[in-house]
Amino acid sequence: MVFEEMSAAIEFSNVSLEYGLGNELIKVLKCISFSVNSDETVSIVGPSGSGKTSIIMLAAGLEKSTDGSIKIYDQEITNLKENDLSQIRRQNIGIVFQSFYLIPNLTAIENVLLSLEANQKYDLDNEAKELLGEFGLSHRINHLPSELSGGEQQRVAIARALINKPKIILADEPTGNLDGENSKIMMKLLLDYTKKSKTSLVLVTHDTSLAQRCDRIIELNDGNIA
Amino acid sequence: MGTLLNYPQLSFIHRYAMRDISRSYKKLWVISTTLFISLLLLSLTFSIKQSMNEEIQANSKELLGGDIQINSGIEPLSTNTLERLAQLGQISEMIELGTMLTKQGDTPVFTQLRVVDSQYPLYGVMKTTPKDAAQKLFLSEAKPIVLINENIQNQLQLNVGDDVTIMGQNFAVGGVISSVPDIAQSAVFGEFAIINKAQFDKFNLKTGGSFLHNHYRLKISPDKTTEGIINEIESLFTGDKTVETRLPKDSVQSLRSAIDNFSNFLNLVAVSAMIIAGIGISNTLLSFVNQRNISIAVKKSLGFSSKVIQLIYFYEIILILILTSILAYFIGVLSPILANSLIPQAYGIELQPTFSILSYLNIAFIGLLVVLIFSIPSLYSINSIKAVALFRNTFQPVSLHFSTKNIFYLVILIAVLVCYFVLQTQQQFFTLVYFFAFFATIFIFYGVSRLLIFFLKRSFSFSNNSYKIAYRNIVAKKSLAPIMTISLGIGLTLLLTISFVANNLKTEISQSIPSIAPDVFFVSINKDEKNDLENLIRKLDPEVELEFMPMAGASFISINGIPIETIVSPDNRSSWIVQGDRRISWLEKPSEDNPIVKGEWWEPGITDQMFISMDSRAAFDLGMEIGDKITLNILGRDVTGVVKNFRKVDYRDISINFAIIINQAFANKLPFEYVGTLKSNFSTDEIQSKVVKEFPNISAIKIDRILSKVSEVLNKIFIAVTGISLVVIVIGLIVIVSAVLVQTTFRKYNNLIYKILGVNFPTILKAMTLEFVIIYLTLVFFAITVAVVGSYFVVENTLGLDWTFDSTLTLWIVLATAVVAFILIVIANKNIFSPKVYPLIRNE
Repeated sequence: MVFEEMSAAIEFSNVSLEYGLGNELIKVLKCISFSVNSDETVSIVGPSGSGKTSIIMLAAGLEKSTDGSIKIYDQEITNLKENDLSQIRRQNIGIVFQSFYLIPNLTAIENVLLSLEANQKYDLDNEAKELLGEFGLSHRINHLPSELSGGEQQRVAIARALINKPKIILADEPTGNLDGENSKIMMKLLLDYTKKSKTSLVLVTHDTSLAQRCDRIIELNDGNIA
Repeated sequence: MGTLLNYPQLSFIHRYAMRDISRSYKKLWVISTTLFISLLLLSLTFSIKQSMNEEIQANSKELLGGDIQINSGIEPLSTNTLERLAQLGQISEMIELGTMLTKQGDTPVFTQLRVVDSQYPLYGVMKTTPKDAAQKLFLSEAKPIVLINENIQNQLQLNVGDDVTIMGQNFAVGGVISSVPDIAQSAVFGEFAIINKAQFDKFNLKTGGSFLHNHYRLKISPDKTTEGIINEIESLFTGDKTVETRLPKDSVQSLRSAIDNFSNFLNLVAVSAMIIAGIGISNTLLSFVNQRNISIAVKKSLGFSSKVIQLIYFYEIILILILTSILAYFIGVLSPILANSLIPQAYGIELQPTFSILSYLNIAFIGLLVVLIFSIPSLYSINSIKAVALFRNTFQPVSLHFSTKNIFYLVILIAVLVCYFVLQTQQQFFTLVYFFAFFATIFIFYGVSRLLIFFLKRSFSFSNNSYKIAYRNIVAKKSLAPIMTISLGIGLTLLLTISFVANNLKTEISQSIPSIAPDVFFVSINKDEKNDLENLIRKLDPEVELEFMPMAGASFISINGIPIETIVSPDNRSSWIVQGDRRISWLEKPSEDNPIVKGEWWEPGITDQMFISMDSRAAFDLGMEIGDKITLNILGRDVTGVVKNFRKVDYRDISINFAIIINQAFANKLPFEYVGTLKSNFSTDEIQSKVVKEFPNISAIKIDRILSKVSEVLNKIFIAVTGISLVVIVIGLIVIVSAVLVQTTFRKYNNLIYKILGVNFPTILKAMTLEFVIIYLTLVFFAITVAVVGSYFVVENTLGLDWTFDSTLTLWIVLATAVVAFILIVIANKNIFSPKVYPLIRNE
């Protein structure tokens, strides 16, 4: 399920997300609509609990919306089964988390290769080495995550998200655990890649200076687009 | 990923699993160890059983002593028949009888005497010390020779050349028998000796005929076809109920049956150990999944399906199973070499290691079933791990996954495991009952752990800190209570049940039976000697309790005209009564210790009609009714009588008990001999010595000697059985230790919080002790209850004995298990007592 790049990369139409907490119904997203073009970088900002991360989870097909339509390159994903969603995710989407989430018993290169292996692409060690080299990690490829600094770990995590050449990158507070210097490096890597490969980027962040580096900002407030 | 995996995907799964094993092997040690121990036990059992069966099969002619054996009972075969047999091959004659062997000035020993001719043995060799002793037996020396076995040598402190007396005739000890080849026919493990038949005949050694057996073995001439000769011999004796023929395949049947029974017990213990190991595997896998929930969520976020992730972990377990099963099997294959040193030399058995791919697959298949059963609920918990948790960092520990589909798979797999075992054994009903009881016990103990948690949650609370910590640990989601209750509970229940059964049997043999049994049993009393014997004994002890009963040989022919062999199968509990020669007796009045339970005693004085009184249990087993017509062959003549009553016969008192009693008036003219018992406060050794000296043909068997031998054998069996059942407890302890170890981080963190809050080490240790005591006392209560019910059923119903409870034995077992378990738990927990604050605060 590899999509053509003509249509909108992500399209949310009247999407709502609710869940129950005891007897209370929590409305996380309230009928929001927006789209992200195929080579556009969009940042999502807003206070804690406004629903930023939920948008990423819905776009990645990791969460089911309560209502509305979500399309990835015109493909409606709200009714897809787990296997089909997995296929869309591994072929089209790269995710970067705030907490890196590298697999502790795999080396840097093995963590990156895992993304390819999920796509049944094997023996592409040179590609992984090259990408890690571009990220300044040539000397760290055989190190375990515990032997890397926070900035290095996040660079490996980004390499893992990008190695598969995704059409959409979803980044949830990717600089949240990094210092100022490393944050800048990280953003540069992400934006350079998206420009070079004409990839969409959805960046969730609290940092307004980072948000402003994207083509467009979507501001969320209490589950609504402000 | 599609439904079917292609080669690159399989290759990826293989590479990933190999990498994971090499980097996480420390976390997989519990799975490897428990699986290995239980597979090893299974492998040892299978290997030794296979080697024994092959050894028996290869030596079946040696075990029987010929190509065919003919048993003619008390009467020898006629000269004509012997001449006919001699034309068909080489014939060896043997007489077996029980008699007394005496060393001057020593207590006589009741001995199974084999009287053999110079052809003996037709197959195999008799091993003796000195080596040429067997040849000396047949030399016509001035003094006749007897070969004795080690038991007689040890009891009477005999050396080669010493004099002994057998039936009043002096013999010189020519050597000590190490082994004889033909062990299938009769017991050679008590006291037994061999003399030359020519000397037996020459000295006209005679004994009461009822305990004498004539055997003939034939080695068919090589120029003749074995099958044709066997058919010819069998047709020679068709219709003659007094003659029985046996072939090599029949001779190994009872040995095979004994091996099957014991190996089935071992198999059940092994599979029990494996199922407990399975609980450990399940627990370890679940904690493995929980420890890796982030990795699993990351893989899912990258697009791996749950199925592929499950396959990776499942593949790891299969690799461990393959490695451990291969290692276990190879050790098992070599085990017969070790077993040879443990098998008594008298058996003359030399086991050979046997390798067979099928045997390995058998073990690996059982291991696979157990691994599948216990890994499915753990690995399916991977479905519950969601990639969304990566955004919120909200990971919840997953639990065993029991969906309808999983339960269906589990039921099928358990059914296959049970059927696979049941179909491989001859004791199918007992195996099925065992599995049912075992799985029921697992559920009982799981229920017990839930009941404990339920009760604690609702019980009144203490203000004591240690109790509060112990309470929280027990009711917590990751509580040790369920796994400890199940794994230790089952092992303890098995050990207690076996110990209770063993103890009841030992009590029966060492206390109950001696209190009601006579001191000496006399056999082969010629009817002319009976009064003299009685006078001699009464002179020695006027207060003696003496009882004599007449006895004659008979064999069962038919019930209501239907041949007995078509009615009674060899599996019938009472088939021994209708097989071969049986001793019958007669009475005019019913005996007080054999009360009539059905029917009436007969009218006295009726001489032309035979009436029969049967043992009620045998009558029930053989399907007899009052009024049935029974045909017996008594001294070569078929006689039909009517069943008049059934008696309750208690064989436990080892007094004179006959399954079949006929009316005295009818039996009056039969030739017979007496059998007698004696109970005396006088020295039975002295009575025995004087009786044997005065009446060399009479055998006087001391009951305490027989009981002590039985007790000795039983002790050895129970030590072995208890030792083997301990494996289940050992596996249970490993599982508990592993459960403790996988909780280390969680408990360390808790203890750190307690430490920060000011709780000291003694309080934490006290809490741990309390936690153990609460769980252990609960499981002990139920283990004792289940063991009492189980052993009561076995002792009362299967063994037919009175069940008693031994509190001291129970206390010892319970305390010993508690101490070992607690020490292991403390050792496994040693890292949690004083957690370092810094690494935990840094979340390292």
